[in-house]
Order: sequence, then structure tokens, then C-alpha cells
Amino acid sequence: MEFKKKILDNGLCLIGEFNKSAKSAAIGFFVKTGSRDETMQINGVSHYLEHMLFKGTDKLSALEVNEAFDRTGAQFNAFTSEENTVFYAAMLPEYLAEVTDLWARLMRPALRDDDFEMEKNVIKEEIAMYKDMPSFDVMDQCRSLHFGGHACGYSVLGSDESIDALTAEQMREYFSRRYAPNNIVVACAGDFDWEQVCSLIEGPCGKWEKGAAGRELTDSSGSWKKKRIEKSNLAREHICLMSAGMSAQDPSRFAATLLGTVIGDDVGSRFFWELVDKALAEAAVMQFAAMDGTGVFCSYIRCGSENVSTVMDIVRKVFESVSAKGISEDELRKAKNKILSALVIKNELPMGRLIDLGFNWTYLEQYRTVKDDLDAIKTVTVDDVHSVIERCNPGEFTQFSIGPEKAS
Amino acid sequence: MAVGKRLDTYVLDNGMVILGEPMEAVESVAFDFMLPAGASVVGEGFCGVGEVISDWIFRGAGDRSSRELGDALDGLGLHRSGSVGSAHLSLGAALESSNLAEGLDLYADIILRPSLQDDEFEPARQLAIDEVHSLDDDPRHKVMIQLREQFYPYPLGISTVGHIEELKALTAEKTRGIVDEHFRLPQTVFAIAGKYDFDKVCRQLERLFAGQRREPAGAIEIGSRAGPQGAGKYMHIEDDSSQVHIGLMAESVVLGDEDYYNARVAVSVLSGGMSARLFTEVREKRGLCYAIGARYHGLKEAAGVMCYAGTTPDKAQETFDVIRSEFGRLGEGISDDELARAKVGLKSDLILQSESSSSRAGSIGVDYYMLGRVRSLDEIKDAVEATSVDSVLGYLQNKRFDDFTVVTIGPKELTTNLH
Repeated sequence: MEFKKKILDNGLCLIGEFNKSAKSAAIGFFVKTGSRDETMQINGVSHYLEHMLFKGTDKLSALEVNEAFDRTGAQFNAFTSEENTVFYAAMLPEYLAEVTDLWARLMRPALRDDDFEMEKNVIKEEIAMYKDMPSFDVMDQCRSLHFGGHACGYSVLGSDESIDALTAEQMREYFSRRYAPNNIVVACAGDFDWEQVCSLIEGPCGKWEKGAAGRELTDSSGSWKKKRIEKSNLAREHICLMSAGMSAQDPSRFAATLLGTVIGDDVGSRFFWELVDKALAEAAVMQFAAMDGTGVFCSYIRCGSENVSTVMDIVRKVFESVSAKGISEDELRKAKNKILSALVIKNELPMGRLIDLGFNWTYLEQYRTVKDDLDAIKTVTVDDVHSVIERCNPGEFTQFSIGPEKAS
Repeated sequence: MAVGKRLDTYVLDNGMVILGEPMEAVESVAFDFMLPAGASVVGEGFCGVGEVISDWIFRGAGDRSSRELGDALDGLGLHRSGSVGSAHLSLGAALESSNLAEGLDLYADIILRPSLQDDEFEPARQLAIDEVHSLDDDPRHKVMIQLREQFYPYPLGISTVGHIEELKALTAEKTRGIVDEHFRLPQTVFAIAGKYDFDKVCRQLERLFAGQRREPAGAIEIGSRAGPQGAGKYMHIEDDSSQVHIGLMAESVVLGDEDYYNARVAVSVLSGGMSARLFTEVREKRGLCYAIGARYHGLKEAAGVMCYAGTTPDKAQETFDVIRSEFGRLGEGISDDELARAKVGLKSDLILQSESSSSRAGSIGVDYYMLGRVRSLDEIKDAVEATSVDSVLGYLQNKRFDDFTVVTIGPKELTTNLH
């Protein structure tokens, strides 16, 4: 593995990790912007803008963009979260130049009015689609309840109302503020020619004007509110719990990840043995999600209405037990082994490696090898996990539930 | 050595086939036991039993209790990947190569010596029933399960999740009998990919799985389309959902058919990438959907092209009409550019997938079951390359997409003119 880095005069950062044994290459533009960088008036604009980048530039129509990507056979797409918008592609090395050039040009999109109006339909269909996925919907609504008025609680998709009201002009204004070169990291992984990648990026992207996009970081411990809504067509109770966690910059994030695995991995965890193994819930998982300057532990549980109170009693007991008695050496060892093997497997693919490489730079401005992350997991002690429990107290949580109408 | 160039094979005395594909530059290994106990072969009246079995066999095996077994698997950092298909119940895992031998020991216990205790049966069955209920809250997934059930001749497409009434009627004794009857080693395929020592793996499997020379099970009887419910070509399930979830399926050819690669290229022209017909016409030009796509779905006996679209009720009819007309229009002509994009997309997917040990283990096992041999990546690339506009259009003329099976879930029924 060989690490490469270059920062252009306008602040755009290029990084790469070369792997000579890879058969493919992956490239990504990591833009540090998401729903938390919006206001309520323009909620949903980051995600909508992600769609609009595929609509082309002054010189390329949407169909020409799609055809150009498909001619390379690349697996390309993008995703938007609360704090990042990532455009990526995995492809055979011989097509990397073409794909890199295309992405570099798309980063300065035309944002045409007629494309904007047509895509509004697609965005609203996406919102409708997620409404039919209660396991997603419950997490989205729980996040908003947990963060209260804090911007980290804003929905990534926005609402029908916010999307209806959004104008192309507002999007263009948001774009010019947030897609500044200092707010973007270009990363590549796998088999690539670094000099070639640099020159392809420098051409179009070196001309971008400097900007000063930033983000004000404020922590939020969460609202700890409880709320339930009903939908007549649902069969099961969907429950999401959220509690405070550490940030992506906090060294104890590795211990927090292990705590999430001990409590809520999909098999072999405390939730698994107490809830799923006993068939009280068909799903019960907990994960730690580190964010910029903050973080959350997030649990998702799905069960029959008749089991809700038993399930929640057990969940509280699991949290009480880890707070009072901690976790065992054996639990920590198993959690480590699961995380370590998952890290190894994920990073064997250039596409998997790209995501860790890009996010480590986005959050830490640091190059971390796979081994750095493996070692960080290996050296976590039971005491480290206990101090996470003490700091975060997972038993104090926000709870959002969506379930069928209760029989009266 | 490049991936997909070398295939390791070995057959145990009892007939169980061992296949391996070594991969350089990985530390992981993935394996898959394909047991001939899929949803379509276990007999009528037990729909969903595969889900119960996949859970029950992990609740203690060999001399380990349920908890001890779970802890042992977790201790190896092993990631389980079981699934129930039409023909097979697959038990797979991915892990770091250094733990492979211990992992195989545990899987031999799970397959050959599961405890199958009465008190562990009830929660396994309950979870399977709950999963069927959960499907009601996941219409996008449910519509495709229902579609396969309607499309394939019975019992090939039968739901792998299960039917509530049959799960409720299931007993521990009956389920034990099905494990005993269908975990047949002579028809089991073991596939492994990644970092491993083939001689060592074979010696270990020989030691663990020797014996059991039971005759193969008889062939299943394949009935007519549309299953026992007889719901016909169009089935609508009323639901107060936000979108109408549309599943549509048309006949295609099986792997091994001389037109197989023409069929795959045709599907790719229709829905391979974002410049393909469905995405362009349904989403880009008309804004009717967010999720729209079609893919090839093949069993050994039959195959189809499965299409999904989710759209709000007001747009559902237009979405359906556009999709159907795009299927119909495909046989009228394909441009050279479209063909080239379809080919490069198929070839590149193949190579990108070949970097994942789990994906390779799955692929070589399926190839062996379908064809009795494993295709090399070069063979597949050459066959894709050999297709032409004429060969794809020739195929489409013989196999016109004019016979559809359709399932919808949502607040609005469609006019399909299908009976």
C-alpha cells in the first residue's frame, strides 16, 4: 500500500491509496455537506442537489452523462447523509481516467430549471418510497425527535412541503456556498496511476474559486423524549432508540463501536440472546454512529404489538446491567473478532477501502491504514468500554415507535 | 494467477462435491454449503420450513448448547450468511483465513449433528412466523416474493419466507424428518473462495463428512403456472401504502440455453445502467418513479426477467404502461452503442464481483448446480463479447416479451388486460 496526497492552491484535497494487487479502482468525491448544513426552509436540498449533479453541465445533458458512465461499465452512484454527500464509482483501471474526468466536470453542474422541475417528481417518489419502509421511517423520525431543534435532526430527504417550496435559485445559492474546494476531498483506492488522476482533477477543478465553507459544531445530548405514531396498514411495531455517543474525532469511538456490537450485533449480542433467540422480537440491533462533533447509539427493534412492553422491559434491563456490571472480557473478545474480520473483508474491495479512506480524511484530515484501525480495535480494554458506558449512559434514550392502531 | 483462472475440484466418496477458487491478495475466505433442501423440494404443506430449519440447527449442535455454539462462531469472528432458495438451503460464512479449520468443524456439527431439541423448536418457528408478518410492512420485498410465486410453475417459485398456516401446522417431529430426509450429502455442493489450502480443506472435509451414501431424492413434479392459488396473470393486493408497488415478470431462458447470453444482454439494454431504456424512459424523461429496474432471475428449470417499480397511485397506470411498452419495443431494434454499453456493463460487473470471496464462492456453487461445471471468467467474457445486435434481436424475435405475470400492492389496482 502506498499513500499519496496533494492539495491544490484553491484548497481541494486529493488523496489516494495504491494497491498493486487490486483488479479494480475506486474514486470518490466526498463533499462535507448534508442535511445538518441546511435550514428548515431549504430542508432536503443537499440530497436533491446530489440528484441534480447527474443532470449534467453546460456542455453535457443528463442522458449524455448516463451514457458516458455506462460506456465505462463503472458501478457509479452517490449518497447523501446528515453530514456528507459522496459521489463514487468502482471500475476497471483502464476506465478510471474517463470516469475521473466525468466526475470532475459534473462537480460544476448546470442546475437547469427544467431538470430541477422534472427531478422534483423523482425526489417526491423517493420520499413516498421511504414512507412505505417503516424500519427507515422510524429511524428518520427518531433522529429528529432525539436532536430536537439541532440541525443533526433534519431529515435528509426533506418533506413533501419543503421540497415543493424549494426553488432552483435556492439550490444554486446552497451549491455555491457548500461545494467550495476546501469542503471537498477527492479520494481513490485500488489500482490507479496517481499522476494521471492528479492531472485529470487539476484541469477542471484547479480553476474553482476558493471558498470558505465550514460547519459550526455543537454537541447535543438528545431530548430523551418518547413518541409513538400509528399507521393502520402496519402489522408490526417498529421501535427506534437513540442515545448520546462520541464524535468521529474522539479516540474512544473504537470502544463505542465495540459496545454497540456487545449490546446489539445481529447475532450473539445481549439483545440477540435476550430478545431474538427467545422469539420476543424478530429484529433487535444496536449500532454506534460517529458524527462530526457528536455521535449516537441507535437501536432498531421490530416485534409484535403483544410483546412491546415485555421487550422494552428487557431492553431497559440490558442497559441497566451493562451500566451496573459492565461487560465481560469474553464478550469484548468476541466483539473484537467480529469487527476485525468485518474490517478485513470490507477493505479487500477497493470500493470498501475508498469509503474508509475518504471518511478518515473528511473527519480527521488523517491517513489511517487498515492496520491502524485494526490495531485501534485490538487495543481497546474492558475499562475503555466501561468509561464509554459511564460517559454516554445508553439507558437514557429517545424512543420513537411506529405501529398498528391499538385495539380499543 | 488471476482470479477465475484456476478451479480446484474434489469429490468425496459419498458424492459430495468440493469446489474452490483461490484468490491472491486476500486474507479472508468464504464458504458455502448448498444443501438440497430448498423451498421447492421439501414437499407440499411445509412452506417456510427452510427458515425454521436455518434457525433451529444453530440452536445447539455436536456437544455444544445453543449458547456455546453461538459463542464459538462469534469467537472466530465468523459472519454467517444463510439463505433459503428454490432448490437449496445454503449455509455460508466469511471469516479470516486463519480460523477456517475451526469454522468448518463447527459447520460439520451444525449440518450433521444439530441438537434439534423440542424446546428450541418453538422460538425458531415463531421467528419464522413473525418474519412472514413483517413482510406486510415491507411491500417492496413482498411484491417480488409474490411475483415469483405467481410466475414460476408450481412449486419452483414458492415463497422461501413461508405461508403462515403451514408454519403454524408444522411440528418439531415433522421438521426433524425433513432435515433427515433432505440434508443429503451426495447432492450437496461445497464451494470455497479466497485464501485456503485446498488439500487441507479436502482432508478435513473427508474426515468430517465421510459416509452417508443415500440415494438422491426423486425429481420434483412441476405443475402449471400461477401456483395452487390459481390467481392468474394479474394479482392485486390492496394496501393503504404510499406507493403502488409493481412487480412484473416475463419469461427468459435458463443458464445453459444457447440464447442465455443474448438474454442477459437484452436485459442489460433494458435496465443495465442509468442510460438503459427503463431508467431513461420511466424516471429521467417522465419522473414517474424513484426505484425502477429489471434484472434476470434464473432457476435451473425456468427463468424470467423481473421488473420492479414503486410509484404513487396517480402515476401507477402510466408507469405500468410505459414499462410494458419498453419491454415490447426492445425487439424492434437496438443500437450499436446500446449493445456496447450493455456488454461492458456485464463484463465489468463480473470482474468487480470477482474481488469478493463471498461472491465468488456463491457463483461457483451456483454454476456447478446449474451446469454441472464452473465457467471461467474468460469463458463468460468471451460469450458476452460474442453477442451482436443481430443475435440479440434474433433471440427477442423468438422470445418476445408479450406474456407477463404482474403483482401489485397498494391503494390502486391497475388495468393490465391480463387474465
